[in-house]
Amino acid sequence: MGFIKIFTKAKCPKCPAAKEIGKELKKEGVSVLNYDLDTIDGLAEASFYSIRSTPSIVIEDEEEREVISWRGIVPTLQEVKQHLFPLTSSLSPSPGRGEG
Amino acid sequence: MASVIEMKGNQQELFKHEIETTDMALFVRTSDEAMLGWDRQRIVDALMRETYVDFDTAKEVAREVEDLIATSKIKMITSPLIRELVDTKLVERGLEQARKMHTRLGMPLYDVDQLILHPNKENANVPHGPEATNLTLAERIKKEYALLTVFSQEIADAHMRGDIHLHDLGFIDRPYCSGQSLEYIKRFGLSLPNSIAMAKPAKHPEVLLAHMVKFAAALQSHFAGAIGWDSINLFFAPYLVGMSDQEMEQLAQMMIFEFSQQAVARGGQAIFTDLNLYWEIPKHFENVPAIGPGGEFTGKTYSDYLEESQRFAKALFDVYQEGDGSGRPFFFPKPLVHITEKFFQTPGHTDFLYHICDVASEKGNTYFVFDRGETAKISECCRLSFKLDQTDLEDAKHPWKMRYCALQNVTLNLPRIAYLAKGDDAKLFSKTAEFIEMAVKAHLEKKLFIEKLLSLGEKGPLALLAMERDGSPYLRMGRASFLVGMVGLNELVQIHTGQEMHQSKQAFKFGLKVIAHMKLLVDRFSQRYGMRFVLEQTPAESTAYRFAKLDLKFHSPKSGHIVKGDISKGEVYYTNSTYLNNSAVLNPIERVRQEGLFHPLIEAGALTHIWLGEARPSKSSLANFVVKTFQLTQNDQIAFSPEFTACNRCHRTSRGLRSSCAYCGAEDVEGITRITGYFTKLSSWNKGKLGELRDRYRNQAFFAQKNEGMAVEAG
Amino acid sequence: MIEIKGFLETSFSDWRGKICSVLFLPRCNFRCPYCHNHSLVFHPEQYATFSLEDILARLRSLRDWIDGVCLTGGEPTLHADLPLLVRKIKRHGFSVKLDTNGSNPAMLEELIEGGETDFISMDVKAPLEPFRYSRSTGLPVNLKPILDSIEILKKGKVEYEFRMTVVPGLHGEEDIRTLGGRLRVGQRFILQNFNPENPLDPSLRNIFPYDPKALKKIEKEVQEMM
Ligand code: SF4
Ligand SMILES: [Zn+2]
Repeated sequence: MGFIKIFTKAKCPKCPAAKEIGKELKKEGVSVLNYDLDTIDGLAEASFYSIRSTPSIVIEDEEEREVISWRGIVPTLQEVKQHLFPLTSSLSPSPGRGEG
Repeated sequence: MASVIEMKGNQQELFKHEIETTDMALFVRTSDEAMLGWDRQRIVDALMRETYVDFDTAKEVAREVEDLIATSKIKMITSPLIRELVDTKLVERGLEQARKMHTRLGMPLYDVDQLILHPNKENANVPHGPEATNLTLAERIKKEYALLTVFSQEIADAHMRGDIHLHDLGFIDRPYCSGQSLEYIKRFGLSLPNSIAMAKPAKHPEVLLAHMVKFAAALQSHFAGAIGWDSINLFFAPYLVGMSDQEMEQLAQMMIFEFSQQAVARGGQAIFTDLNLYWEIPKHFENVPAIGPGGEFTGKTYSDYLEESQRFAKALFDVYQEGDGSGRPFFFPKPLVHITEKFFQTPGHTDFLYHICDVASEKGNTYFVFDRGETAKISECCRLSFKLDQTDLEDAKHPWKMRYCALQNVTLNLPRIAYLAKGDDAKLFSKTAEFIEMAVKAHLEKKLFIEKLLSLGEKGPLALLAMERDGSPYLRMGRASFLVGMVGLNELVQIHTGQEMHQSKQAFKFGLKVIAHMKLLVDRFSQRYGMRFVLEQTPAESTAYRFAKLDLKFHSPKSGHIVKGDISKGEVYYTNSTYLNNSAVLNPIERVRQEGLFHPLIEAGALTHIWLGEARPSKSSLANFVVKTFQLTQNDQIAFSPEFTACNRCHRTSRGLRSSCAYCGAEDVEGITRITGYFTKLSSWNKGKLGELRDRYRNQAFFAQKNEGMAVEAG
Repeated sequence: MIEIKGFLETSFSDWRGKICSVLFLPRCNFRCPYCHNHSLVFHPEQYATFSLEDILARLRSLRDWIDGVCLTGGEPTLHADLPLLVRKIKRHGFSVKLDTNGSNPAMLEELIEGGETDFISMDVKAPLEPFRYSRSTGLPVNLKPILDSIEILKKGKVEYEFRMTVVPGLHGEEDIRTLGGRLRVGQRFILQNFNPENPLDPSLRNIFPYDPKALKKIEKEVQEMM
């Protein structure tokens, strides 16, 4: 399992919802990294992933490679989990990009 | 001219003006009996006029200097010498500020001699000749003037030390660069302040072109840098209705020819021109009433001129493809084609893309500017493109209002920051903030100065920029930008982390962090001062060389391991702006992708070069690459740079940099390639640039070794 | 397994319209005096070998950009396991282009039948006469396999082109016309200018290439002789 990066800004209407997802996942033991685009680290990290809008959520594998991302939109907790735990929640087929 | 002038009594009144403005009038010949033309009072006058010293002190100084001269055995006294003598007396009295105010600007005889006899290598765009040396002489004096009076001591020192670089100090009394709208001349004709001839709005395309060229020349003498023209093919279009292909081609030829001529203006310097071109009708001009012959509204909107606009764009590229008489690429004007979402929705775009890629492959001229998303964007000038906000969109309805400028360009020496930080993160970031603050201060100081000149209105030195033909001054200060550039991010990272940016993901990310920090800072300053500070990728032709040289001096031995190039030959440089090491084995894909990650943080001048060397790629493969760059990266602008060898014997041009002509074997050849932002001949390059050229990685196959360039995977 | 002796990650000039990677394979059965890859071709032991695994890993990280892989040499068809290499690359989702001198029609047939190459570019060295061909390839050449290869490609089961490197002294304008007239493949006949940089036969270094514009003109004429 990889980890999840959440990009937000202080003044952004949809960001609280994204942060909420982060909190939920953290409770379940997922490693969640929060980035605020008004800070140096946040802006640098966002640039690295070409994040141009907030909120954005990126899931990465162990080698810090992007598995999937939602940019400028907030997915449901369910959707995020599907991609975080593709094996355990394989009720619906995962559209995640695998290596082939 | 510099003969001895003796002046007494009334004559002095007669020449009063000259006495005040030139020191030449102060030559004095000493003979055994008396000093002819000597008048102690003149020292007193000068001190009173130029400095704050009181009358008694002035008189005392004058007398002391007189004694000194009388007791010395000097045969001829020139005014510079008198000034120096006066200055020593001021220094003796501890009147430091007075001495500064009393300074004489000028150059040593030796330097002038060198200058007149040898070419200027600082700026490859300046040819060597009488006009050019005039320019350099003037620049030298204005530069000293700027450092002494326009800028505070703190800023001037920072420049001299090489913490920051204040660009174009020799052009201190002008803004930096500008973006124009052809609509202004179409609507108001050519009526420039202080010019005798006035021309009504043009009726024919050739006349419009002539107006454009004249106006560009006038602008060039009011700006230090480039002059950009927005949507030039579109704005010409209403004049081109019903034109035959042949006429169209002729007009295109005339345009490129006019702007490529070296001898047109300023010290023989070509007008550094950017032509912004669109295949589509840019969204913000779709419903704008078109201005046609005679400055009249045609009753149609610009959407109705798509065909003419496209034909003209094509014709321009036909001319670029041919090159000049001997097949060399035209160095100027630079064509910037905007690739937008709408570009891909506009019929014929594939053929046009092939056409401009063909030119890119063959001659290298084409710049591909990527405007992604639905937000409208225009190129303000060479260095800056920006998203149109609501006021700009309002302006777009009256396109002649769309005049922009960048007032000044200040570049930070990033490696210097790293030397000073000695590996301490906190210190590195606080030093960066200090450097940015210096740049901001420099901008405030220059702005104040330019505003002073502008306040003199149409009677002042910047009359052209103060003229009000449409109710507001030509130069819209409220719309000005203030550029903060950088040199050597790669070396900063190298000094601080031990790795260059292409060597590891951590190093690369650290580079991003530094730029993110700078971006947040300039945004904060923009808010504080209500001015637009933006980061820019410096066209660091001579700055990278200057910084590297100064750091070799001040931060040796550490800097000896850091500067790029060949120290023994003096060919040293730092890597430009946020670029990755020039010699790093990075394929074009990675270069475009990785350098592009910086572009969203850098609003001005962001550009990735892809060196082609000898290779002559297929146009459709290049087109493929351009499309993917648009779709898969955040890169703002790319250009492909081939290299050429021009033969001075058979006048043919071959591909690649060679020591002899590929066609006739002559060794009298000249290499041509792109220096920072434009093409030039190698013989005019400064040493830092030559070092960089040797290090360029040209996308050739590599055999013996495995690839060591580390791939930073992004997204 | 074939030893891969050179790897160019990105090329804009080896496959028209595509962004491709190029793999260089050693050895050749010809000795063209103008060959400019010769040290790689004839002294491959001087070069390190790339592992296919590393190359494929690189390609994977560039997969959104790279459309295909070009196999060149030397003469790739000298390696009996070339089809295997082609298959491996194809399996990773990349198209494959093959450069060949046409001396191994059997393998071309096999590759085409297997449907695994997407494009074949064949070098034609001179007008199709034994003497002329031998002079251009540096050794006596049996024309039969060359002619067979031409016929195989012309069947059009796979995208193809014929390339001729034009060397002043070896080829005159007439030769281009003769060869072009014989092949009659229109746009699929491509001229390439000689590069005097580092030819196998050092005496060619003093030969100056044709004016590219003149060459383009002839190419166009020949392409139009349908
Ligand atoms: S066919 Fe000729 S040019 Fe090609 S690799 Fe062999 S010797 Fe060199
Ligand atoms: Zn020549």
